[in-house]
Amino acid sequence: MLTINSLSKSFDKGKTYALENVSFNLKAGQVCAIVGESGSGKTTLVRLIAGLERPDHGSIAMNDKIIASLDKFIQPEKRKIGLVFQEYALFPHLTILENVLYGISKVRNKKKKAQEMLDLVGLSDMGKRYPHQLSGGQQQRVALARALAPEPSLLILDEPFSNLDTMLRTQLRNEIFEIIKKTEVTVLFVTHDTQDALSVADEILILQKGKVIQKDVAANLYVKPNTLYVASLFGSTVHINKNLQNAFRCPLKQDCCHAIRNEKIIVSPSSAEADCEYITAAQVIKQIQLGDSTQLVLKLESGEQLTVMTQDKNIADTIYVGFNSKDILEFEQE
Amino acid sequence: MQQGGNNNEAFSLKTRIKRLKRDVNKWSVFTLAIVFFLALPIIFIGVELFSGPGETWGHIVEYLLPDYIWNSLYLVFICSILVLIFGVSSAWFVSRYDFLFRKQMEWLLILPLAIPSYIVGYAYAGIFDYGGSLDLLLRQLGLEFIRIDIMNRAGLAFVLSISLFPYVYVSARAFFLNQANNLLEASKMLGVGERKTFFKLMLPLARPAIVAGLVLVLMEVLNDYGAAKYYGVNTFTTGIFRSWFSLEEPQTAVYLSALLICFIFALILFEKWQVRKIKFTSSKTNSTQIQRNEAKGAVQWMIFLVVFLPILLGFILPVAQLIYWAVITASTVFDMEFVMISLQSFAIAIASAIITVLFALILIYFSKWSTLSTIKNISRIGVLGYAIPGAVIAIGIMIPTLALDKWLINMLGKFGIDTGLIINGTLLALLYAYAVRFLAVAYNPIDSTALKVDNSIPDSSKVLGVGNIRTFFKIDFPLIKTGVFSAVILVFIDVMKELPLTLILKPYHIDTLAVKAFEYASDEMVMEASIPSLFIIFTAMIPVIFLNKLLIKK
Amino acid sequence: MKKLLLAVATISLLVACGNDNKKNENSATKESSKDQVVNIYTHRHYEPDQDIFKMFEEKTGIKVKVINASADELIQKMKMEGKQSPADVLITVDAGRLSRAKGEGLLQSINSDILENTIPAHLQDVDNQWFGLTKRARIIAYAKDRVKPEDLSTYEDLVNEKWKGKILVRSSSNIYNQSLLASIIANNGEEAAQTWAEGIVANMARSPKGSDRDQVKAVVAGEGDLAIVNSYYIGKMLNSPDAEEVKTAQQIGLFFPNQGDRGTHINVSGAGVAKYAPNKENAIKFIEFLISQEAQQVFTEANYEYPVLESVEPVNDIKAWGDFKEDNLSLNKLGENNKKAVLIFDAAGWK
Repeated sequence: MLTINSLSKSFDKGKTYALENVSFNLKAGQVCAIVGESGSGKTTLVRLIAGLERPDHGSIAMNDKIIASLDKFIQPEKRKIGLVFQEYALFPHLTILENVLYGISKVRNKKKKAQEMLDLVGLSDMGKRYPHQLSGGQQQRVALARALAPEPSLLILDEPFSNLDTMLRTQLRNEIFEIIKKTEVTVLFVTHDTQDALSVADEILILQKGKVIQKDVAANLYVKPNTLYVASLFGSTVHINKNLQNAFRCPLKQDCCHAIRNEKIIVSPSSAEADCEYITAAQVIKQIQLGDSTQLVLKLESGEQLTVMTQDKNIADTIYVGFNSKDILEFEQE
Repeated sequence: MQQGGNNNEAFSLKTRIKRLKRDVNKWSVFTLAIVFFLALPIIFIGVELFSGPGETWGHIVEYLLPDYIWNSLYLVFICSILVLIFGVSSAWFVSRYDFLFRKQMEWLLILPLAIPSYIVGYAYAGIFDYGGSLDLLLRQLGLEFIRIDIMNRAGLAFVLSISLFPYVYVSARAFFLNQANNLLEASKMLGVGERKTFFKLMLPLARPAIVAGLVLVLMEVLNDYGAAKYYGVNTFTTGIFRSWFSLEEPQTAVYLSALLICFIFALILFEKWQVRKIKFTSSKTNSTQIQRNEAKGAVQWMIFLVVFLPILLGFILPVAQLIYWAVITASTVFDMEFVMISLQSFAIAIASAIITVLFALILIYFSKWSTLSTIKNISRIGVLGYAIPGAVIAIGIMIPTLALDKWLINMLGKFGIDTGLIINGTLLALLYAYAVRFLAVAYNPIDSTALKVDNSIPDSSKVLGVGNIRTFFKIDFPLIKTGVFSAVILVFIDVMKELPLTLILKPYHIDTLAVKAFEYASDEMVMEASIPSLFIIFTAMIPVIFLNKLLIKK
Repeated sequence: MKKLLLAVATISLLVACGNDNKKNENSATKESSKDQVVNIYTHRHYEPDQDIFKMFEEKTGIKVKVINASADELIQKMKMEGKQSPADVLITVDAGRLSRAKGEGLLQSINSDILENTIPAHLQDVDNQWFGLTKRARIIAYAKDRVKPEDLSTYEDLVNEKWKGKILVRSSSNIYNQSLLASIIANNGEEAAQTWAEGIVANMARSPKGSDRDQVKAVVAGEGDLAIVNSYYIGKMLNSPDAEEVKTAQQIGLFFPNQGDRGTHINVSGAGVAKYAPNKENAIKFIEFLISQEAQQVFTEANYEYPVLESVEPVNDIKAWGDFKEDNLSLNKLGENNKKAVLIFDAAGWK
């Protein structure tokens, strides 16, 4: 339902790009998460789709109709997109009910509709309050109710949980996506947190420095990441650089970049017990207890340092670490 | 790769033109039209420059220009120092401490704005005069009169500073009240003392706000005519009047104005540059207000004196002198006409304040909606009028309005309609001139409040299906209301005080209090000028107090 | 808040429209014969003038409409307005600007026997473009306790070494000083005028500032001994509501210079009919009225000026100063030499 084609945007007349040649599709009813660090172009992408910025190149189409391109631009108010801002952007001088009513002033039975929306987000009796009288989580839900009220065909959530603390965040995320599922709206969910993305998204799109790195279902991102960056986003990863290759005596393909998941690194008290192709002895420099697992800082025979995780409780001073070639992730050189 | 191709293509001329075609909307066109309308007088003056200076230009450069430059620099320098001392110290104390009469002093400190600086000048001349109030007072006390000569360059700097410091006070206080609290607490937690906190932390942080106020003050200083003339100090502005009227060479006057404008632009550029260097002020208002310390004992008295001094010098003394004169001359000068003139002045000032604010709102929001970044920059040309002396704007307005009038008369004459001058010499021309002159006064407070409204708020409105204009009325306007009202009040006060422009452009049978006061004063009837001056002060005082309420409520 | 704003806007607009309507009436009256008007551009900001205008209105039924501004601004305004100018009469407080207005082609010659015959020849324009209404003499005010009037003689004598640091005079941007120097240029030539200006600057007690009244006060305060001022300011000070000013004025003496030769420099406040006057007849009637017995009486009584109408007696304060010989220089010369005078002032360093 949303088609984005080689979309580019620069804020300094082409010197640097906030968004460069981005293309992807979104199917109706899907929840797609866009993951990226701050400055990766997530917000620019959102603003372009919502019509708050104009593309320098490329096009955006919704339901096969172009809404922004080089010669066409549909005003944001005509796009029927719901948008929940990072900072909620509730109208501070209007009550909660008025906020929700705002986008549906032309709808019949608007009062009833607005109240329904408030019921949906569980703020039935808060209608007469003002935004500043609400907690952050409540404000977030009002923003959602307001965005959903006009029944948009696409709902964009721009970092909706970044202002909340961790406990509240998980709870609210689950609540909100439960509400969203009831409405069957297509969702674009922008976040810098992979946990958020993994827990709710059908598909995840990784954005780095204004470019799409990978777009796939969650499982594939873990198993077949396109880059080291993606790999490290979805699980702690060790980059097997030249020095490590030497340390483990495992020559790897020259023009590629290699990594291994931390949990695939095998730690054992003796070389015999370890069942792996590449292995080396190491001295334990430091142990850090992290709940049920232990983090070890190791000094390898070659002198390299390496940090690994283990479930073992009893660690000798000298141990063996190693891995198997099937577990090595290989990427094109970045 | 393909990407490189895309980049080149995205900023090739062809794509740029395509985008321009897409992005030009009615707002861009309206903005340009309004900027052009407001810049018209300035453009006409610019065109005058091409006809060359008058024949006495060389004479002026030889005999007078060094004096103009030197005196103007002197005034800029001394006034900056005095205004900073008066404005910043009082702003800091009223926002940081609680002391005797603090609430009253907070608004009393704005009141000097209500008195035109040339009237403060007359009042001080009267106080320090031989046979003046100070002389009388000292003789009553049986003391010898030590004559302090105030009518010189230093005296002028003092008079201008004491009547203009509230600009700095207002902007510095706004900063201290609204943005300083977190930092102040942080500094306290680090165990830093009051004095160091002020000089090492607050002062550098408040610098952009303070300098913004200071630039306003300096523009007023450079544009002052009445006080400089009376105190016998030759400045650019007195020079403009001299070459226009005494030497009968408007072109020379235009050349001097051009120089003055360069001078002022240098100041503005300086402000921009110094604000750019320090971008640490958050544009969002801090939700917590500053916590006041309660001052006690000797400290309380010291603070009281520091804050009271500018009020005494800038308001109480001059007003007392004016009241004294008014009492002596009331029988000969006062009549019901003054009530009429006051009403007229009030109506003109309100009308022009509203018109000017409308222009400012249109410029700010239309250029925002136009989405072309160049338009936003161009729109700032509209605020240049404040840098240009009133008399020069008056010339700039007369040229085009008369041309238009003549054209209209010709056109309508063909149909046998004789209209006379339609625009020139009417209220229209005057209101137009005020709008050109004071647009910056309205623009700045509105723009700064508008900046505090996070873009996501109007953006959400648009995403919810509401267009620009309705978004403005339903969302933006309620949120920037304080800024808009402050703008209305500030323009109102400025128009009440405005002189040279009004003198030249005012229609028949409309008098303003400022004109009336100047008529008396220019005819050496300074005492008789006191009654219209007091009327100005009292008419301007009410909105000044109202303004203070707005500023605090924020 | 919105309502308040709306209400205020409506009221102001109403007032503004009201004013505009008035204005339209004004322009309309140009053609309609019913409502006779005369439009005055005047630099005279004196309260008594209002009374004279009222007297004229009562007598003739012609409404007087006034624009008050400095003569320079009024001249610029008339120049820009050109043929469309609504001005009928231009009144200034000096002859220099009237002759400048004449030079710019802003005035017209008129035929009025009353004006021509009543006003002394040197106080009116040779082409009958303007007429003097009242006279003011630029005299020397001296400290009675420090200066013997016998030591004073002429303007030229003021550059004498003996007055070093004793002379008080206002800024050269003042038209009365410009006219005085213009008369010296006309009488003694440019070079002599230059030397004179430099001599005065050398003898000044302080840098020029303030008004004529301030010069008088400074004499009494002891800053200097002599002040070059206009006669009527002394009259005004003697009748000031401020007791201190009266006391001050009483301590100084008046000296009319150059009685032995050409006479004391005088200037006039005068009027001319605008070139494109829409109401020319009314304009002439108006100026004629200004030199009538009753108007002249008001001028001298309320403003301490010398009447041009010889049959009118000056008020007592003025009479006390005695008769004096006036410089009969044609006042057109003041306008002709005005710019030269300003240039000389600048070159001489007279601020």
